[in-house]
Amino acid sequence: MAEVRLVDIEKRYGSFVAVAKQSLTIENGEFLVLLGPSGCGKTTTMRMIAGLEEITAGDILIAGERVNDKPPKDRDIAMVFQNYGLYPHMTVGQNIEYPLKLRGVNKATRQQQVQDTAAKVELDALLGRRPSELSGGQRQRVALARAIVRTPKIFLMDEPLSNLDAKLRVTMRAELKHLHHELGVTTVYVTHDQMEAMTLASRVAVMREGRIVQLDTPRKIYAEPADLFVAGFIGSPSMNLVNGSVTAGRFRAEGIDVPVDLPDRDSVVLGIRPEELDIATDSSAPVAGKLYALELTGDSTLVTMRMGKTSVCARGPADFEAAINEPCYLTPKAGARFHLFDRNSGQRLDG
Amino acid sequence: MKKLLTWWGERALLVLISVVVLFPISWMFLTAFKQPRDAYSTSLNFTPTLDNFVTVFSDPWNLGSMVMNSVIVAVVTVAIAVPCASLAAYSFSRFRVRGRKFLFFLILSTQFIPAVVIVLPFFLMFRSLGLLDTRLALIIVNLAIVTPFVIWMIKGFIDAIPTDSEEAAMIDGASRLRVIKDIVLPMAAPGILTSSIFCFILTWNEFLFALILSRRDAVTLPVGLVSFRTERGDLWELMSAAGVMITVPIFIMALLIQKHFTRGMTAGAVK
Repeated sequence: MAEVRLVDIEKRYGSFVAVAKQSLTIENGEFLVLLGPSGCGKTTTMRMIAGLEEITAGDILIAGERVNDKPPKDRDIAMVFQNYGLYPHMTVGQNIEYPLKLRGVNKATRQQQVQDTAAKVELDALLGRRPSELSGGQRQRVALARAIVRTPKIFLMDEPLSNLDAKLRVTMRAELKHLHHELGVTTVYVTHDQMEAMTLASRVAVMREGRIVQLDTPRKIYAEPADLFVAGFIGSPSMNLVNGSVTAGRFRAEGIDVPVDLPDRDSVVLGIRPEELDIATDSSAPVAGKLYALELTGDSTLVTMRMGKTSVCARGPADFEAAINEPCYLTPKAGARFHLFDRNSGQRLDG
Repeated sequence: MKKLLTWWGERALLVLISVVVLFPISWMFLTAFKQPRDAYSTSLNFTPTLDNFVTVFSDPWNLGSMVMNSVIVAVVTVAIAVPCASLAAYSFSRFRVRGRKFLFFLILSTQFIPAVVIVLPFFLMFRSLGLLDTRLALIIVNLAIVTPFVIWMIKGFIDAIPTDSEEAAMIDGASRLRVIKDIVLPMAAPGILTSSIFCFILTWNEFLFALILSRRDAVTLPVGLVSFRTERGDLWELMSAAGVMITVPIFIMALLIQKHFTRGMTAGAVK
C-alpha cells in the first residue's frame, strides 16, 4: 500500500502534448479512476506510473520515493492490461506463479500462493489449462490473479473489463470492488466507461485532451460537473444542455423559461439531468415542445421532446404513453438542480 | 460432362507440374544407384548398386571430409547468426532509437550487392589474413550473407507478437533480458526455428564463395560436386550419389520440423 504522487508530470511526443503538465496525488488505499474519451491521455498517465512510458518532465513518487528512473520491475506494482497480457505459452498456474518466481519465492510457498489466489478468483479447476483454452472472462480472472498473487504497493488497471460482454462486465465490476475492499491496495483504474467510473471509484479524475478537468468523488462529479465536457460525459442518458440567455433572473430559450439565480448575461448553457424532469400535462409548464421519441428501458421510459433545434430528454414512468409530434410538457422535479455554464469557455457559472 | 473435364484437367495439370519438379530429383536418385555403364541409359531396368556411395567416400574423392566441412560451416553459422540476429531483430522491433530505420535499411542493403562483386575483395582479404581454404573463412562469409536476412525474417515474427505480454512481464518483475528469454523467445520460437532452417539451407547450398575461398581442406559439398567433372568426362553416377548426400539431410530436417511449424504458428496469439 502506498500513496502515489505525480508532481508536474508531462508527456510529449515531439510537439504533441499527450499529457499536459499537472499534478495529482493518489491517496493511500484509494480507488482512483482516470476517466475520459479515447486519446485523452489517461492510459499514458497510467503507463507513466508503471514505468512503461518515460515522462518528459516532472516527478513520480510512490510511497514517497522518486521512481522516475526506476524500471517497471523495481516499482513494486501490478497491472492488469486491456488485452490481459497473458503468457500464451504458459499454463494458467504458471502465469499466476511467474511474478513470484521472478521474486525468488521458494517453490512450496509459490504453489501455496497460486492455489490460494486461484481459489479467490475461482480458477482452481483451470490451473493446468493454457490461456488459449479459456473464455474472455476466465482470461480476465487469470490476469487479475497474476496481479493479486503478491501484494504490490499499487494496482494499475487499464480498461480491464472492456473486452468482456455486458453481463460479465457487471459481475466482474462487483468482484473488483469487493477485491479492493478486501485488499485495500491503492488502485489506479483507467476507463472510458462512465458507469464503471461511477460505481468503482473513491475519486474520479475526468480527463480531456491530456488534462484533468475535474477530480472529485463520483457523487460530486455527478452533482456538480465542473464544465460542459464533464456535464455531457457523466450520466446516462447524458445531461440535457440547452443554449440560451439569462434576463431578469430567468433562463430563456426556445420552449424553456425557468427561474435561475444568475445576473443577466448571454451565451449561457443550462443543464438539467433527465432524471430530474417530470412529465407535465399543464401547458404552462416551464419546458414545452413536441414529443420526438419514446424509449422504454424497462423500469422507465425515456421521453425525448424537441423545441426548435434543441431536444430535451426526461426519464418518465414506464407506463407513460403519448403520440409522437403531439405537444409535450416537462417540469423540474422538486429539488431539481439547474447547472449553468458559460457557452464559450464551458466553465460552470453557479458556484 | 464439363465438371468431369475440369476434374481431369486439374489432375493432368498437377501431374504435369509434379513431373517437371520431381523428374530431375528422381533421376538423380536413380542414377546414384546405377553402375557407370547404365548412367546414360534411359531404361529403368538396371541392377542397383551402392558402389557409388562407397566410391565417393574413398580416395580420391573423400566426400566424408566435405560432408564434415559443410556440417561444421552450416551448424556454426546458424549457431552464431540466429542468436545474434534474434537480439538484433528484437532491438529493431522494440526500441525507438534515432536512425533506426536507416540502420535497418543499411543492413538490408547488404543483400542488394551481387555476390560476384564482393567475392574478389573477400578473397584478397582472407589471403592477407592467411585464412584461405579454412572453414573459419567460410563461416565468416556465410555469417555476412545470412545474418541480415535472418534479422529481417525474425524481426517480422517479433513484430507480430503483441507487446502486452512483455510489458506484463516487466511489471511482474522481469528485466529486459529475462523478458526476452522467458516471453519473447518462446513466443517467437516457431519463427526463429523457420529462420534457422532457412539459414542452414542457405549456408548448406552456398556455392560461389566456397568455390573461390576453398582449395583442398575446406571444400564443401556443393563445391565438391564440381570435382566430378573430370578429364574423363562427367561422372554422373558419382555426382548423383554426392547430390543425394547433399539433399537427404535437408529432406530429413524438413520432415522432422514440419510438425513443429504448424503447431507453433497457431499456438501463438492470445487476446
